[in-house]
Amino acid sequence: MSKKILVVEDDETTADYVVGGLEQNGFVVDRASNGRDGLFHATDGKYAAIVLDRMLPGMDGLSVLSAIRAAGIQTPVILLSALGATDERVKGLNAGSDDYLTKPFAFSELLARIEALQRRAPTAAQSVTTTLSCADLKMDLLTRRVERGGRRVDLQPREFRLLEMLLRNQGKVVTRTMMLEEVWDYHFDPGTNVIDVHISRLRKKIDEGSDALLLHTVRGAGYMLSENA
Amino acid sequence: MSKAGRRVVPFSARARAAVFSLAFSLLISVPVLLFVYRQTDSLFEQRVRGGIDDRERDLLYGYRSGKIPGLVGEIKEEIDTGLVRNGAVLLVDGSGRKVAGNVEEWPGELRAGERWVEMPLYPERSRQPVPYVLRTVRLPTGERLLLGASIEDRDHMRASLFEALIGALVLAILLGLVGGMILLRVTERQAREVGKVAGRIAAGDFSHRLDEQAGGEEFAMIASAINTMLERIEELVEQLRLVTDSLAHDLRSPLTRMRANIESAANYASAEPEQRALEAISTDIDRLLRMISATLEIGRAEAGVGREQFSEFNLSELLADICEMYQPVVEEQGLTIRVEGEQGLVYFGNRQLIGRALANLADNALNYGAGGGAIILSSIDRGEEVEIVVSDCGPGIPAELREDAVRKYRRLEPARTTEGSGLGLALVRAVARLHGGEIILEDNAPGLKVRMVLRR
Repeated sequence: MSKKILVVEDDETTADYVVGGLEQNGFVVDRASNGRDGLFHATDGKYAAIVLDRMLPGMDGLSVLSAIRAAGIQTPVILLSALGATDERVKGLNAGSDDYLTKPFAFSELLARIEALQRRAPTAAQSVTTTLSCADLKMDLLTRRVERGGRRVDLQPREFRLLEMLLRNQGKVVTRTMMLEEVWDYHFDPGTNVIDVHISRLRKKIDEGSDALLLHTVRGAGYMLSENA
Repeated sequence: MSKAGRRVVPFSARARAAVFSLAFSLLISVPVLLFVYRQTDSLFEQRVRGGIDDRERDLLYGYRSGKIPGLVGEIKEEIDTGLVRNGAVLLVDGSGRKVAGNVEEWPGELRAGERWVEMPLYPERSRQPVPYVLRTVRLPTGERLLLGASIEDRDHMRASLFEALIGALVLAILLGLVGGMILLRVTERQAREVGKVAGRIAAGDFSHRLDEQAGGEEFAMIASAINTMLERIEELVEQLRLVTDSLAHDLRSPLTRMRANIESAANYASAEPEQRALEAISTDIDRLLRMISATLEIGRAEAGVGREQFSEFNLSELLADICEMYQPVVEEQGLTIRVEGEQGLVYFGNRQLIGRALANLADNALNYGAGGGAIILSSIDRGEEVEIVVSDCGPGIPAELREDAVRKYRRLEPARTTEGSGLGLALVRAVARLHGGEIILEDNAPGLKVRMVLRR
């Protein structure tokens, strides 16, 4: 069954861009061009995720979000906003959004975030996982021990968290900004390739000496941990 | 504002005000006191002169009606009735012998016919000389008459008047000083109020207004003028913000579409060279978008937006974070990076923006700090201020180009070839200013040292 996404966006071009991209990637998309319609659709609660513009005619994005949450609907929401500043982002997250994406964004970034929310939603209710694995790569969250094919891998604390994030999202693209946000808690784009070098170090530690490479670069988007190339 | 930048009212201004108010009070009080002194003195003299006039008239009347015996009778009566208790009277004949009076002998140096002579006399039963004012009359029959009044009282009065005047003067000086200080204090307070509002405006907070009711009329005028100016500035800034925001937004939309199209084109392109070309375009668009974002962010920080996100955070940890974040990429360039200075330094500010500023500084040090050596991030707690210092051992920036380096879009010529938006230091400065601070570029000998001063 394909997943349904609700896109609430008044800007035609952006809406086309987002909806087109999502449909190409196998999602079924409902579209609303103002806050009131968006809220009406959202109260169904049948969506896998809602992409909500911050500034909408009729009813402001944040108000829609508050109304959705007030109605007890826990559908993951990604706020889109031209207001990129960190203060705006905090406002959005406080209002109950699960993620916040600044316009303009690469579609791959939005897709990666929607995918990440898909994973997060069900596991949140499940019992706490203590081990993560991908092929012969194993991570014990309690002892903080990482093994690749029985060989112990020594990781720096930050590398551990990076790998944990990649493992939790395995099979899905994790973008650089997502890493920066989750692993370092910074919401800006460092000009230089700082993340890439961290990843290449991590890759060296887990993939070196193994036949099967697990940590892949997804061109123009980010990185992915996966058994299949 | 950094300490160096903030002007403290120098002591000399207070001293100047004190001297001015002192001179002013002297200028007013001294002539008044002198006038009082002169008036009192001449009043006394008039009274003495009047007394002598009366006595002269009485005695001469006696002389005219009864010749010398009549005059002698008058003199005796004067002495007996005590009319001349403080006075002197003497009548001598042509050869200078005393005929009547309460003075022993005619002072040798005194001529007859004087109207007002001051000299000491020894009145009867007195061994002490007493200052007198004397009048002498030559009678038609050859006798000489001396009339005098003691002016001892006048000297006493003069002395006490002088004392009173000195006292009044001292009081005037004190009052002048105190009044001056109070005036200065009031003026200073009002000036400080103006300064405070101006400072807030410099930091990007345009919402404050001066109280037009407080203070005197002059301050009300200044306050009103400044408030009008503020309104205008606020309006302009708001317009500028709208224009830049919408411009950036308008630029972003087509760029985003372009990026989307290139992305899908890359999906269809099969050949490696095409892929690479498209990717290069994509990278450039990303750079453009980053520049737009940075410009917007600088604009917002300069306009004071982001203040509501201030919170307490561990600045030392932030430094350690950035250091750790940049370590791999720094080491790849053959450099080292480390943190020095305070541990557990807590600061109240916008963590995201300061983090971003620090990342910019680290980026700069990385891009322009070539040539080996260490990049050092350090923090110093100065109580009122916190300082973050990022230093590298690269070629540095010559002193005359440092101010230029901090401006928006200015990239120093030799650096043109390297990647960068020319917005790095401008953003750092905007962030520092949002926190009431400033950035200072210094020579690290060798290298560049950027001091980011943040106010508490």
